[in-house]
Amino acid sequence: MSAIPAEAITAESKADTVGQYDDLVNAGYEHGFVTEIESDTLPPGLDEGVVRAISARKGEPEWMTEWRLAAYRKWLDMPTPTWAAVHYPPIDYQAISYFSAPKKKEGPKSLDEVDPILLETYQKLGIPIEEQKALAGIAVDAVFDSVSVATTFREKLHEAGVIFCSISEAVQEYPELVQKYLGTVVPPTDNFYTGLNSAVFTDGTFVYVPKNTRCPMELSTYFRINTANTGQFERTLIVADEGSYVSYLEGCTAPQRDENQLHAAVVELIALDDAEIKYSTVQNWYPGDEDGKGGIYNFVTKRGDCRGHRSKISWTQVETGSAITWKYPSCILRGDDSVGEFYSVAVTKGRQQADTGTKMIHLGKNTSSTIVSKGISAQHGQQAYRGLVRIAARAEGARNHTQCDSLLIGDKSSAHTFPYIEVKNSSAKMEHEATTSKISDDQLFYCRSRGLSEEDAVSMIVNGFCKEVFNELPMEFAVEAQKLLSISLEGAVG
Amino acid sequence: MSAAANSSRQQTEAAEAFAGWLQGLSGGAAVDATSSGTAQDWLAAERQQAAERVRAQAVPTGKSESWRYTGLRSLIDQGFVQVDESLTALTPDDIEEILVPGLDAHRAVLVNGRYSEALSDLGTLPRGVRVGSLQRMIESDPDALQGVLTRIAGEGSHLFASLNTAAMQDGLVLLLERGALLERPIEVIHLSVGMEEPRVAQPRHLISLGDGAQAQVIERYVSLGDALYCTNSVLELSLGRDALLKHARVQQESPNAFHITGLYLSQDANSHYAGVNIGLGGTWARTDLVTRFSGEHAECDLQGLYLAGDKQLIDYHMDVRHGLPNCSSRERFKGILYGKGRAVFDGLVYVARDAQKTDAAMSNRNLILSANAEVDTKPQLEIYADDVKCSHGTTVGQIEPEMLFYLRSRGISASLARRMLCLGFAGEIIEALGPEALRDYVTEQVGERLERAPLD
Repeated sequence: MSAIPAEAITAESKADTVGQYDDLVNAGYEHGFVTEIESDTLPPGLDEGVVRAISARKGEPEWMTEWRLAAYRKWLDMPTPTWAAVHYPPIDYQAISYFSAPKKKEGPKSLDEVDPILLETYQKLGIPIEEQKALAGIAVDAVFDSVSVATTFREKLHEAGVIFCSISEAVQEYPELVQKYLGTVVPPTDNFYTGLNSAVFTDGTFVYVPKNTRCPMELSTYFRINTANTGQFERTLIVADEGSYVSYLEGCTAPQRDENQLHAAVVELIALDDAEIKYSTVQNWYPGDEDGKGGIYNFVTKRGDCRGHRSKISWTQVETGSAITWKYPSCILRGDDSVGEFYSVAVTKGRQQADTGTKMIHLGKNTSSTIVSKGISAQHGQQAYRGLVRIAARAEGARNHTQCDSLLIGDKSSAHTFPYIEVKNSSAKMEHEATTSKISDDQLFYCRSRGLSEEDAVSMIVNGFCKEVFNELPMEFAVEAQKLLSISLEGAVG
Repeated sequence: MSAAANSSRQQTEAAEAFAGWLQGLSGGAAVDATSSGTAQDWLAAERQQAAERVRAQAVPTGKSESWRYTGLRSLIDQGFVQVDESLTALTPDDIEEILVPGLDAHRAVLVNGRYSEALSDLGTLPRGVRVGSLQRMIESDPDALQGVLTRIAGEGSHLFASLNTAAMQDGLVLLLERGALLERPIEVIHLSVGMEEPRVAQPRHLISLGDGAQAQVIERYVSLGDALYCTNSVLELSLGRDALLKHARVQQESPNAFHITGLYLSQDANSHYAGVNIGLGGTWARTDLVTRFSGEHAECDLQGLYLAGDKQLIDYHMDVRHGLPNCSSRERFKGILYGKGRAVFDGLVYVARDAQKTDAAMSNRNLILSANAEVDTKPQLEIYADDVKCSHGTTVGQIEPEMLFYLRSRGISASLARRMLCLGFAGEIIEALGPEALRDYVTEQVGERLERAPLD
């Protein structure tokens, strides 16, 4: 486990000078380096003792330990889902270490107390916390492996009454809020991975926006996965009380590894009357090498509950990383006039596989949902859109529009669409459209004839293809996402 | 806990009952097959294997993907038994009421799954065209069937198709030799008559067009009265190079009927298939349309219209598999739902790695007229080739109030206005049916059903 930043730098500069995209594809993963840091890691394996140990190490109250244990017992009887169009060798859940925390003396109160090696890591990634402070008022709750080590802008948020802290802290300080909302959107028994996550989650983010408050800044967490063989089980809970608004950004990169790393996060969003939550993700975890070896398994359950009337939850995601993605950010439109949105760009290349989509469950009256999903498959990339739109019998006047388009680059790639549409109400209006095609020769020829290189032309066409989704991202993210997309597709064309 | 255990025990019991019922249906036939002589050893083997498949296969439950929205409970509860004798008492006068007025066609009639010489009126068939009973052909000329019969349906996983293979007794055979041309359409009437005990008929039909042959086939599923029965039919269709088949299927069975059809289509190079499926009748109707291409530049056009009213479930499953380059497929289905009607549409377009230049489009549009109707639709694309043009679209909606207002403001009653708008919606599919007499007849049938529909 030695730090190998030099390799990443060489690869990058090679890419710059050679300028031929065939070489670029071999450029490797830019963010692949490992930070040497002392970790307090539990030995691999999972049983009730491990669950208790995690809970004890985090100094959790009794109810939390019991909640974890209940989840663990149920998980034992749950089957691993096999219906997704992804293929991977069976995971040995006993070979994973379920806890890894950077060693710390006391909880750091400012950046000065944070381990300098950690700060350096963020700098390598191009997200120095100091600069983040200045940049458009983004507060960063940096999650390094499993424990939050740096939190900024706390005070400013505190003034507004917004709670933005790690979930372990919330368990200690706001137990009544956590108890009231945790597991109410995604119950531990929801599926195999939520059961596992509920039993062993180590940290994550908690956000509570009080009544009639507009969160003064965009909230953001950067995830890093570190320490070999550590599954990461994040837990995010965001509650927007009546009439409030919050925008949350999530972005990820991970160091290069040979063994597959499991990531089974759970994200729960709750929007009460007139509240709005905007959740944006840019995911760029290590996808594995050309043979698909060593990438991250991203098995995430994300769900939002529009519990109040006129509430709104909006998911935007740009997924370019991970060896396997299994992710369906969903909305339960329970309140009358509530709105759910899902905007997604997913890129799979190399041996990446993605089975992603959304569920829109219409329960309230006059609820509406929009789904825009753009999939790009290159090389051996495999991709599936799997979505459900259910309009319940009492959901009068429900409205849905779904658009999912796939772009195929190269004859070894694949794209599938599996939409499920269940309508039980006659006043519902729903439309679903899907197309699959490649970049047409005419489009390319047009751009080429105007002097654009093939790569620029493809990049331009792909960016146009994804524009609808990028428009939904907050400004800083949109720029990053476009950059990420062009980098991801380099070498995949031709 | 106890409720869960209870329901799982009930499920197990149901599964056992169903398995027993299936074996009863497939086992009896195997005996029948072995008794008919040595000339059809291959057929006996096929039946035997199919019976094995039925035995080996898990009973579908709500968790089986292809039966997710279509429960088998109501079918099993009827306790259908196999039809064993042919019904010969009917005379041509008896079927007068079910004929399409003014339709000029060669007519073949099957009663409860058995070919009826007495009721059929084939007229003069052109050269190179053979129409007749499957049973007769198995006895007289089994070699003509070998390599075709059961080969198109293959050893697919479909339970009811396997059951049919194991238990088939009779059905219709239509063979067109290379270059044969059937100018008048051939009408095939599948007539069902209620028996004392609820019966299941399992006819097997075969339509094979040689290279360059052309035909137009009209299939109609009709009943005398409101009989309770089940039909589990399999139709194998084979189109040679450059062959052309126009195929209309009108299912207008009794409101108590259970209907299962598996239509297996194999298309060689440059062949063209245009199928129109009209689903109006039955209380529980499931149709599987399966297409395979064995040559390039073939075109498959599937259209459909279904009406599901009270206590009706209409389920269309489609599986179009592009394994070769340059083929095209179109699926266009429209549905009108009223009362407590339910419709299921599950379409899959599969494009294999080598099937470059595939052009496939699928659409499913539904009109829901009442609060209690339900539609579950699942149009899927599974694509492994990059140079393709594939799309699908689905809509669910209701009659626009503006349109209704427009018509009402011109003095048209609300119910007539609704009917006009529904017929307008359905018209596009009905138009594709071919002969004018048939189009008028189906329009009338649809109109009648809409008139009776309790529109709220």
